[in-house]
Amino acid sequence: MTASGRRTALLVAGLVVVITAGLAAADGSPSTPWRHLYLLPVLLAGLRFGVAGGLIAALGAVLGVGPFVLREIEGHGPTRAAAEGVVTLAVLAGSGALVGSLAARARRQRERYETLRAVQRALAEPTPLGRVAARLAAVLTRRLGVDAAGLVLDEGRIVVGADRLDPRSLTARVLARREPEFVTDAGTDARARRVVVVPLASDGETVGALAVERLGDVSREERDALVGFGAAVGLALDNARLAARQRRFAEELEHKVGEATARLGEMDRLKSGFVALASHELRTPLTALQGFSELLATRAFAPVEVRRLAEIMRGEIERLGRIVSDFLDLARLERGLAPAIRRAVLDPAPLIAAAVELFRRTRTTHRLELHVEGALPRVDADADALDRVLKNLISNALKYSPPGSCVRVRARATDGVVAVDVEDEGPGIPAEERARVFEPYYRVRETAGLGPGTGLGLSVVKSLVEAHGGTVRADAAPGCGTRMTVMLPALP
Amino acid sequence: MYAIARPWEPRPGGLLSGAPLPLLVALGVLTAGAGALARAELVPLTPARALGAGGAQGALLATAVAWAASRGGPAPWLAATVVLAGAVGAALSPLGALAYLAAPVWVWLERARLPGLGLARAPAGLVVAGAALGALLGAHLFVTASLTLGYSGRVPTLEGLAPWLAYDVGGNVLTTEAFFRGALFDRAQRRWPFPAAAALVTALCLVRYLVDPLLPRSLEVTAGAVFYLTLLSLANCWLYWRSGSIAPGVAAGVVFFVAYRLLHVVP
Repeated sequence: MTASGRRTALLVAGLVVVITAGLAAADGSPSTPWRHLYLLPVLLAGLRFGVAGGLIAALGAVLGVGPFVLREIEGHGPTRAAAEGVVTLAVLAGSGALVGSLAARARRQRERYETLRAVQRALAEPTPLGRVAARLAAVLTRRLGVDAAGLVLDEGRIVVGADRLDPRSLTARVLARREPEFVTDAGTDARARRVVVVPLASDGETVGALAVERLGDVSREERDALVGFGAAVGLALDNARLAARQRRFAEELEHKVGEATARLGEMDRLKSGFVALASHELRTPLTALQGFSELLATRAFAPVEVRRLAEIMRGEIERLGRIVSDFLDLARLERGLAPAIRRAVLDPAPLIAAAVELFRRTRTTHRLELHVEGALPRVDADADALDRVLKNLISNALKYSPPGSCVRVRARATDGVVAVDVEDEGPGIPAEERARVFEPYYRVRETAGLGPGTGLGLSVVKSLVEAHGGTVRADAAPGCGTRMTVMLPALP
Repeated sequence: MYAIARPWEPRPGGLLSGAPLPLLVALGVLTAGAGALARAELVPLTPARALGAGGAQGALLATAVAWAASRGGPAPWLAATVVLAGAVGAALSPLGALAYLAAPVWVWLERARLPGLGLARAPAGLVVAGAALGALLGAHLFVTASLTLGYSGRVPTLEGLAPWLAYDVGGNVLTTEAFFRGALFDRAQRRWPFPAAAALVTALCLVRYLVDPLLPRSLEVTAGAVFYLTLLSLANCWLYWRSGSIAPGVAAGVVFFVAYRLLHVVP
C-alpha cells in the first residue's frame, strides 16, 4: 500500500471510531440522523480502495451501528427505529460495495486504455514477431493483473507462455472455433484458476489467440473487455506484421538493387575490358596481314617463301573470320536470338576426327589423342556449328595447357546422347568460376594471361550447343586440368 | 500455461455430485429419530439433542471428507463415526464431550489424504489473521451482549468451558468449516464468482445455525446470530479463498465461539 493509501486507511478508520464514539456518548437511537455520517468513511474507502475497501469500511460501520440496533431489538422488539437501523446497515454495506465497484470499474477502464497504449508501444518496435509477442505477454500480465498471459500466433508457430501448443488445449479449441472460451476453474490449484482465451481477430481472420489465467475472479465485464481487447491486439499485431513485411520487402529490394548494380558494374568493367581486348585481337592479325602484304608487294621472294607467307596470311584471315563470327553470334545472343543454324542428319565421328586431325597437323607442340568408344549414333546438327564448337574447345585446351602436355578428345554414346569430352592438362578452372566461364566477356583471372582471347568463345559454344538442344559443362579433369563436355541429343 | 499446454476437458458432475447419499440418509434418520424420541419424551432431552447434533454434524464432516479426499482417501463413514463418538460421549456425561476432540485429531492425521481441506498447507499468517478476526468479532459480541443486551459475562471454570470448547473444536466449528468452506464453498467458487459463492454458502451456513436446537429461541439472539455469523461466514469464505485451507476459518470460529461461551446465553 502506498503512503497516501495508508493515510486514507487511517483517516477512514479514525472517522469510523470517532462517529461510533460520538453515537455511544450521545446514547443515540439507531434511527438518529447522525448515523448517516458513516457514509463519509464508507464512500471515501470505496472511492480509494474499490469494492474491498468499501466493504471493509462498511463492515466497520456496521460493527459500530450494530450494537445500537441489537439493543433496540432487545429492548423494544422490531420497532421502526430498529428497522431504520437495519436499513442503515444494508445501505452502508450496499453503498460501500456499489461505490467501490463503480470506482474500480472506472479505474479498470482507464487501465484498459493504458494497456492498449502499452500494447501499441510494444508492437511499434521493429523487432521479430516472436520477441514482440513475448514482450506483449509480459505487458498484458502486468497490466491486466493476471497470473499468466500467453499468446499463440502464426498458426501455432509462435507460442508465448508455454513450450508448445497442445492440439487438445483450450487455446487450440479457440483457434479452431474462433469463439472466446471461459473456464471457471482449470482444476490445477487449491484456489479456482479462471481461464479466458479470446481469438485475436483482424479483418475477419483469426491471427492468433490470447490466453489469460488468474487465481481469482474474472468478471463478465473483464471478459467482455478481453474480447474487445483481442480484436484490438489482433489488429495491432496484423499492422505490426504488415510493417515487418514491408520492412523485409524494402530490405530485400535494397539487396537486389545492390546486387544488380554490382552486376551491371561488373558487366561494364568486362565490356570495357572486352573493347580493349577485341581491338587488340583485331589489330594483331591486321598488323600481320599488313606487314606480310607489304613484304610481298615490295620484295621478291622465292616461290616456297611466298607460299609460306601466304599460309601465314590465310591463318590470320581465318582468325579474323572467327573473331567476326563470334561478334555476330554475340550480337544475336544479346538481342535474345538463337544462333542461325542449318540442321541436317549427320554422323559426328568424321567431324570430330577432322577437327582433331586439323589441330594435330598445325599444333605440333602438344600431343592430341582421339578416343571414339564404339559407333556413334547420328545427330541432327549444323555441321559448321558443330565444327566451330569442337575447334573452339580444342583450341582452348591447347591454349591453356603447357607445351608437351596431352589433350584428349573422347567421344561416346550414352543414354540417348552423344558426349564429347575435351580434356587438357592445364592449370584448370577454379570450381567457383566453372559456371561463369560460359558468360560473355568472362575470362578466368588466373589463366587470362596464358593466351589471347575475347572471352566470347565459350559463350558462343554454349549458345550453339543449346540451340541444338544439348548441354555443355566444365569439370575438373582427373589429375589436373579441365574437362569440357558437350552432349548432343542422338537420333534414335 | 494450462490454457496452452494442457489438454482441456469439460468438468464432470454437478455441484453436489459425489455426496455419500446412503450414509447421509442414515445420519438423517438418526437425527430425525433422536428429535422424535425426545419430543415423545422417550429419551431425555440432552442425550437426544447430542445424538441429533452428532448425526447432523457427522453428515457435514462425512460429506466434506467425501468431496475433499484424494483418490484412496479416508472413508466418509469413518468421519461420521468419529463425530458420533463425540456426540455419544456428550450424551453420556458433560465431560464425555471431550470425545469430540477425536474428530480434529483424526482430521489432522488424515490431512495428507484430504487435500481439499488444505490443512497440510495452512499459511500461518492467515491462521493468525483468522484468530484475530474471531477475537474482534468475539470481543464485539461480548461487549455488545454484556453491556447493551444484558447478558452477563462469566469467569469460566475448566469443567464448565472444556466440554463446550471440545464441542466447538470437534463438533461445531470443524464440521461447519470442513463442509461449508472446505467442501461447498470450494466447489461453488470454482463455478461462480466469489460474491455469489460466498453469499450462497453464508445463507446455507446461517440456516445450519438457525435450525440448531442449541441456539436459544429469542429475537435478539437470533438477530445477533444472523449478524455475527453472516460476518464470520463471509470472512471465513474470504480466508479460505485466499489460503485454500480451512485452518484460518477454524481459528476464527473457535476464538469467536470461546467468546460466545463466556456469555451466559446457553442455559
